[in-house]
Amino acid sequence: MSAPAAASMPLDDAVPAPGALLSVRDLRTVFPTRRGIVQAVDGVDLDVMPGEALGVVGESGSGKSVTFLSVLGLIRPPGTVTAETLRFEGFDLMRLSATERRRLRGRAMALTMQDALSALNPAFTVGTQIMEGLLTHGIVANARAAREEAVALMGRVGIPSAAARVDEYPHQFSGGMRQRIMIAIALAARPRLLIADEPTTALDVTIRAQVLDLIDDLRQSEGMALVLITHDLGVVAERTERLAVMYAGQIVETGPTAAVLAAPRHPYTRGLLASLPRLDAPDSPIQAIPGQVPDLTRLPPGCRFRERCPLAVAACAEPVLLAPVGPDRAARCIRTEALAS
Amino acid sequence: MSYSRIAERFLQLVPVLFGVSVIVFLMITLTPGDPVEIMLADQRATEEQIAALRRDMGLDKPLAERFFHFLVNAVQGDFGLSFFHRRPVIDVIAERLPATIELTLASMLVAIMVAIPLGVMAAVRRDTWLDRACTVGGLFGVSMPGFWFGILLILLFAVELRLLPVGGRLGYDYEVARITGMVLIDSLLAGRLDSFRNALAHIALPALTLGLPSAALLMRVTRASMVEVLAADYITFAEAKGLSRLRVLARHALKNALIPTVTVAAIETGALLGGNMIVETVFGWPGLGRLVVESIFARNYPLVQAAVLLYALTYVLLNFVADILYTTLNPRVRL
Repeated sequence: MSAPAAASMPLDDAVPAPGALLSVRDLRTVFPTRRGIVQAVDGVDLDVMPGEALGVVGESGSGKSVTFLSVLGLIRPPGTVTAETLRFEGFDLMRLSATERRRLRGRAMALTMQDALSALNPAFTVGTQIMEGLLTHGIVANARAAREEAVALMGRVGIPSAAARVDEYPHQFSGGMRQRIMIAIALAARPRLLIADEPTTALDVTIRAQVLDLIDDLRQSEGMALVLITHDLGVVAERTERLAVMYAGQIVETGPTAAVLAAPRHPYTRGLLASLPRLDAPDSPIQAIPGQVPDLTRLPPGCRFRERCPLAVAACAEPVLLAPVGPDRAARCIRTEALAS
Repeated sequence: MSYSRIAERFLQLVPVLFGVSVIVFLMITLTPGDPVEIMLADQRATEEQIAALRRDMGLDKPLAERFFHFLVNAVQGDFGLSFFHRRPVIDVIAERLPATIELTLASMLVAIMVAIPLGVMAAVRRDTWLDRACTVGGLFGVSMPGFWFGILLILLFAVELRLLPVGGRLGYDYEVARITGMVLIDSLLAGRLDSFRNALAHIALPALTLGLPSAALLMRVTRASMVEVLAADYITFAEAKGLSRLRVLARHALKNALIPTVTVAAIETGALLGGNMIVETVFGWPGLGRLVVESIFARNYPLVQAAVLLYALTYVLLNFVADILYTTLNPRVRL
């Protein structure tokens, strides 16, 4: 998938990239808590082109899931979402009514969650849960057609003897099969954008590749765009074209996946890569990033990574913008030069 | 639920009921006071007459023998004669039981109709004025004594506003053929809307008095489990499917949230059946509760024993029903 170079560049200008399926500018999501206001997402800019696969990586609490729950309109009060731009297929999501946004959810943009066991309702059969979306969005005319389509969808995601298992409950399926059912539910309405939140984290290694292949196949056949939220850089390297690295509510680096992973321009990305076990040098020690993610209620001014960063200098305490660092790439770091050398 | 499992459940009843009968038998016979003396209190009875009556009622035998007799007969469904009515205890109870069941069902209906919507709304609008009002109202409901609340209701609706009758089950002008013994149902079966309305007016205040404290409890249980369920991933996922808010709440959330509510409702129903003596007395409701209170005062051993056994049996059976409901609500539990 070849996205226009300029279009996939998240920049500070508020003009949505031409032709983008999803355009986000200055997205901010905050949650008031007893300890103070949590800035879960703090000024995220990104574009997703039709049919593109974007990887979003970062550790727990980096805001990657919250960013896309905000896009879906699933942040519950007292959490609040603001954005300069939040466009999807020409719709200004911030101006749509709750009902209008609901009509887009599940139909045009769909979500799969990390743990299918907790995402599927234990009290209803999988068939019921697949049929529901079909009927809500008027994709099928009646319950009988919905049932047939549910069986067909289960077959398409690779569940053997789907017709016999459509009336079973989620707990009667294995972990991999449940993940497939969740994908079947998400894909029921043939959405243009699938947001897959940690689709393989809860799965056995052997099942992971199967589930990712399935998502890939469906993406190719439906021309669907994919946002793959994960902390697994291996998965991102294999399955995505573009990458956004998030840290403490901000995007710290973005660009073509291969280029970013080959030569990271942000110390955090480099730290993530260094903390992977290496196949080519199995004896080399795994390097953990020292320190902890800053408290999201008390974010320091300036670079949020500076306290864990080996390259930090005094100037890092000043606010740092996401700036271009090469063709189609951007990083939120003033020490990019030092990193490159 | 498999048949063997149901059979197992029924077998579990045996030790429970045996234990209950031992305790009841001992408690009532060891309570000071002699039924014969109470019965003959106003009469100048001779020693021989008293001894004869005592022999007649089997009270001259040793305690163990009396208990053994009671057990052997009870197993055959014979609970003896009521000392005072001179009729089989079973008949006396059967006559009064429908009134109590009717009141219990009406109270439970009040409780459920109040508790579930309020509990759900309090959970959905968590930490708003509505939630706080429900919490305060719930505390009030749980802590106020039934006799006091019943009297307040009588003062307001019967004495001041004259909207509802003070007590009883049915006005004197009405007479309905006894089929189930529950006046509301019998009226409907007879097609008598006038007496149905009258019976409804009679049952309203006692049902409110008994139902509101249960409603308070059920509401708190529903709210708590609903709050927990609303935070579940499957609720977010259901919303991500684009389902309407109402559908997410009424189907996805409620079906899971009701699991604890059903259990507590079953226990409450048992408690209402066996614990409405005071309210039946306040409202002059001719049910089993009042009968038991009178029988305890009169040391009417056979009736009290049979009634308490019945309470225990109902309680266990209601829990059994709750377990069955459980499996339909929660398919992961297969008993």
